[in-house]
Amino acid sequence: MSNPSRHWPADRIEEITTLQQRTWDIGTDIGGTFTDIIAVHAGTNETRIAKVPSRPDAPVRAMLEALAAVGLAAPDVRRFVHGTTRVTNALVEERLPRVALVATAGFEDVLEIGRYRRQELYRLDVPPKLPPLVPPAYCFGVKERLDHTGAVLEPLAESEIQRLLAWLGANDIQSVAICLLHAYANPAHEKLLAERLAAIVPHVCVSHEINPEAREYERASSTVFNAAAMPIAVEYLSELEKALPLGAGLQVFHSAGAMVPVPVVMRRPLVMAMSGPAAGVSASARIARDLGRPRVLTFDMGGTTTDVCLIIDGAAEMTDTRMIGGRPLRQPMLAVHSIGAGGGSIVRLGPGGLTVGPQSAGSVPGPACYGRGGEQPTITDANAVLGYLDPEARLGDTIQLDVDAARRAIAPIAAALKLGVEETALGILKVANAAMARALRRVTVERGVDGRDCTLLAFGGGGPMHATGLADMYGLNEIIVPAASSAFSALGCLTADFSFLQQRTVRMPLHGFPASVFAERIDELVQEATTPLIANGVARQDIVVEHVALMRYAAQSDALPVPFAMPLDTGMLETDFHARHHELFGYATGEPCVIEALRVQAVKASSTPFSRPDVGRPPVASRRRSCIFAGATAVPTAILPRETLAGVVTGPAIIEDAWSTVVVAPGWQARADDMGNLYLTRSAA
Amino acid sequence: MSSLDPFVVEVIRHGLSAAAEEMSLVMTRSARSPLLREGGDLSSAITDAEGGLVGQGRDIPIHLGAMAFTVRELLKACPAADMREGDAIIYNVGALGGNHLNDVKVVRPVFVDGRLVAFALSLAHWPDVGGTWPGSYLAQAVDTFQEAMRIPPVPIASASGVNRPVLDFILANVRDPVACEGDLMAQLAATRAAERRIRELCAQHGTQLFVDTLSRLHDLSEAEMRAAIQELPDGVYEGEDFLDDGGPDGAPARIHVRIEIRGDEALFDLSGSSDRVPNFCNTTPFIARSAVAYAARIMSGREMQQNAGALRPLTIITRPGSILEPGWNAAVAAGNHETSMRVVDAIFRAMEPVIPERLSAGGPATSGLMAFAEPRPDQSWRMLYEVHGGGEGARHDRDGVPATRVHLTNTSNTPAEVIEANYAIRIERQAIRRDAGGRGQFRGGDGVIRSYRVLAPSMWLTTCVERTRVSPFGLQGGEPGKPYVITLQRNGATEQLSGKANLLLQQDDVVTLESCGGGGYGPYGG
Repeated sequence: MSNPSRHWPADRIEEITTLQQRTWDIGTDIGGTFTDIIAVHAGTNETRIAKVPSRPDAPVRAMLEALAAVGLAAPDVRRFVHGTTRVTNALVEERLPRVALVATAGFEDVLEIGRYRRQELYRLDVPPKLPPLVPPAYCFGVKERLDHTGAVLEPLAESEIQRLLAWLGANDIQSVAICLLHAYANPAHEKLLAERLAAIVPHVCVSHEINPEAREYERASSTVFNAAAMPIAVEYLSELEKALPLGAGLQVFHSAGAMVPVPVVMRRPLVMAMSGPAAGVSASARIARDLGRPRVLTFDMGGTTTDVCLIIDGAAEMTDTRMIGGRPLRQPMLAVHSIGAGGGSIVRLGPGGLTVGPQSAGSVPGPACYGRGGEQPTITDANAVLGYLDPEARLGDTIQLDVDAARRAIAPIAAALKLGVEETALGILKVANAAMARALRRVTVERGVDGRDCTLLAFGGGGPMHATGLADMYGLNEIIVPAASSAFSALGCLTADFSFLQQRTVRMPLHGFPASVFAERIDELVQEATTPLIANGVARQDIVVEHVALMRYAAQSDALPVPFAMPLDTGMLETDFHARHHELFGYATGEPCVIEALRVQAVKASSTPFSRPDVGRPPVASRRRSCIFAGATAVPTAILPRETLAGVVTGPAIIEDAWSTVVVAPGWQARADDMGNLYLTRSAA
Repeated sequence: MSSLDPFVVEVIRHGLSAAAEEMSLVMTRSARSPLLREGGDLSSAITDAEGGLVGQGRDIPIHLGAMAFTVRELLKACPAADMREGDAIIYNVGALGGNHLNDVKVVRPVFVDGRLVAFALSLAHWPDVGGTWPGSYLAQAVDTFQEAMRIPPVPIASASGVNRPVLDFILANVRDPVACEGDLMAQLAATRAAERRIRELCAQHGTQLFVDTLSRLHDLSEAEMRAAIQELPDGVYEGEDFLDDGGPDGAPARIHVRIEIRGDEALFDLSGSSDRVPNFCNTTPFIARSAVAYAARIMSGREMQQNAGALRPLTIITRPGSILEPGWNAAVAAGNHETSMRVVDAIFRAMEPVIPERLSAGGPATSGLMAFAEPRPDQSWRMLYEVHGGGEGARHDRDGVPATRVHLTNTSNTPAEVIEANYAIRIERQAIRRDAGGRGQFRGGDGVIRSYRVLAPSMWLTTCVERTRVSPFGLQGGEPGKPYVITLQRNGATEQLSGKANLLLQQDDVVTLESCGGGGYGPYGG
């Protein structure tokens, strides 16, 4: 944002578009195994989707290959939005550049101390916590001190700055995270240090900008994550800008569920941390609004994890904290809850019962039925045994399904339980669905809603296959498998709003602060949230600003989000808070309440239209296959092409296209709409 | 019973765990006391209709272990036949499967179509339950009456709502009634949440199947525990460890265990432990059992559900009149988290010759508690409960980790920024205590240092810290870790404080806690 040459005014984009006939908008989601792409023509709304293998070592090349897979090249592209796990993977796998932490003297060990708690209560073999992301040798203390009101107890002396500069000069540091005590209440010392460091260190980030909220460990951890991600993100995004010189048309998907321009991401790469899952949720929110479903649970089941999220009235729930590789990352994000169970999760039978995951067969060797040497039974093997997967299909053009291998993998468990292989496979799916149901429970409970009133939106490789079983277990009555379900996160990149979000700790008692101070704080936040949008060509009058107060009773610590309008009506805010607290916890009291933090989101609504996607493959032929849904008896089951589905299909049936398999269990029926969305509901009989 | 679908059992197990996790979530998100909302000193459980534990959150092991007895003992005093839908019972007395008076339990019987099928149990460590000293920890208490208010099982709610007279009676006896009421409301809300989930499970699977499954869960855990014990070599093993003081003439008090492994059963005889001690380090037999159950599970190296079934193959003996079965009127505030840890340590010492690779050397096996109570001008109190981890003991294949919690506790520190915003305290420094870990082939983890400056005219301090005299032990020849040190700087002079003290602080006093390092594993340089 500091470099004005990066801000491409909208009219400049228009100019390029006209000149080069750039007429395609692209969304991509770069996952661990596949890169998904969706392309929409700006004039005709023609929509194409494809999947190509990801290239972790050459992500930009994989993106160009994905473009080729939908018949396009760089000069065709007008807008390119992508979600990527690149930053998250680097953080989790700790392939990080050398980062230094600058902290208040006496508090340099903040990362190593953490919060003491261990993750595993009953295991001594695993270390109770991970080593700090920055080793002690690269943590530096500067003498200065603020109190919690921001008052200066000890000024930051020039001699301290000189001492720090000398230390940095003596060490080869690429990136510095600055996190001083109580900087959220007064950023002056952090700002001063950042200015002085900018000349000698390539990347500097300050905690009051990354996460201006109290609790020093969580803030320091988030700031260090950001500092570690900066060199990686800048290198990657610069390369991408070269390959796709689209100016403001090149965008990245934000963990909070919106698009942000590249210059912003280079300063705050942390916003990409949950980019991929957030894009899927964002597409879900759009569908929920378009189809008028007030409560939606997203169900995105992949190979190793399953992500779920709750969407109420077209808006996804937000969260403040998430653990990345065992360390806290604190920033506003979509409240995507992930569990370590996916198609590749290994099934184990111990004396204590049958469990699924968290160990996974991964992509190599993968499930036994992939025939690549995997011998341990997985959820996918259970699906193969039951006939849900097409034995003729070649997954990703490389894998030929081996149902016998799946049976061999499950046989030992079946023998131990004295059951048939098919019954055991059904049982495995039941247990897997119970783990999924627990995840759905978790996200609905946090919001205090009854999950059974929700519509289940199923996507990802496994979502549409497990949806009816999960719905039966959880008591859901409607499932939607959206068009483009196999590249849904890519679609989300394209259809999301253009938006930016800013949040700051204020800790004001609800009654007794001057209205002018409140208005001033809001103005500052609005300024901070709208500037990146305006700088990238969005007109101020097109931006809608949403305000949320994070509120709690004075004696509590967890704050609940309560939306409000300006000018502030204190009485209404208080009433709304009490109602929300009652809704969540079943009681409310007359205690004094506090506004812990203010959150402002600037949104430019998206209106990208798209049409029924072309998967670029011929439709599968209608036929029949033996499938098992209950007991040990196989029933002849209709296999129907998704592209040409007409009328109401009564289960049992399996609906397929090149990239997805939808299981319609007995007791369910399915129909498609013009867009290619599938609606699964319970059969009347 | 054998006809039970094994998959439905797993489905219900997930449902019970989810319900208990939801209880803890409701507690941490809506409770008032920092000890609950920041420190997480609370636990949630679900039991069957007989009080046998079947589901628990990922909370505090010592609570979870004791909760296996909490409802079972309650039912002996309050027959289930007298309970009605909508009832909730509150109590904290030790005789009913209790541990110490600060841990207040709320129990809700769950009825489905008039049939009692389960209990939801919420335990929370209240920062003050009245008594002699703010915070309810009195180091030299001679009996429990000096410690805190004793609450026998009384109805705190019924179908018609909260029982106001009982609530008022309780609130009249605590130092922070406003926070206390909020915490108690959160406990009631947590048990109501569990009640909803249990009813859903019954509606989905049928009440009879649900009840049968609970019983099946016990059998499965019993099988897992028996298989684990079977792996251990038969024999008799003895071990001991010591509390800093409490013995005759202030000598260290002894915890001794004699373990007999026979086939798939194990006997733990703790009779050789010291007599009742003249301070707050006594504990209840339930806590001794809880500590043994934890150690047995750890030594198994297996994932298993901690329920009543897992206890069946274990015989646990305590001696009446001893520190582990001191009688109903003994002071027990600290024994809950101090003496219990020493039971685990004694068991580890006993098993060291047989399975050293499954154990860790000695670590911060103490609550590391420092409670600051600040009297406010309006006669209310602000309580800061600080609990501190230290260096983990080393293992056969790795160094110990610094600044962590071990074994029966898992509470967090309070951030310096939260302390300074809420209390008249400035944190002068928080750092790793380098070189506190014991040397060895693998090194023990390092402890932490935190200094508190008092900004108020006065403050009441309680220390409750073990491992200040008896160092965390090394394993297989490793060296011990450095012990805890607590100092007070006042008017330029520095004095060392006892790990079990109640004292008045003045403005500008600086109290510094240095927590212990872990013991090493294997000979150093070897």
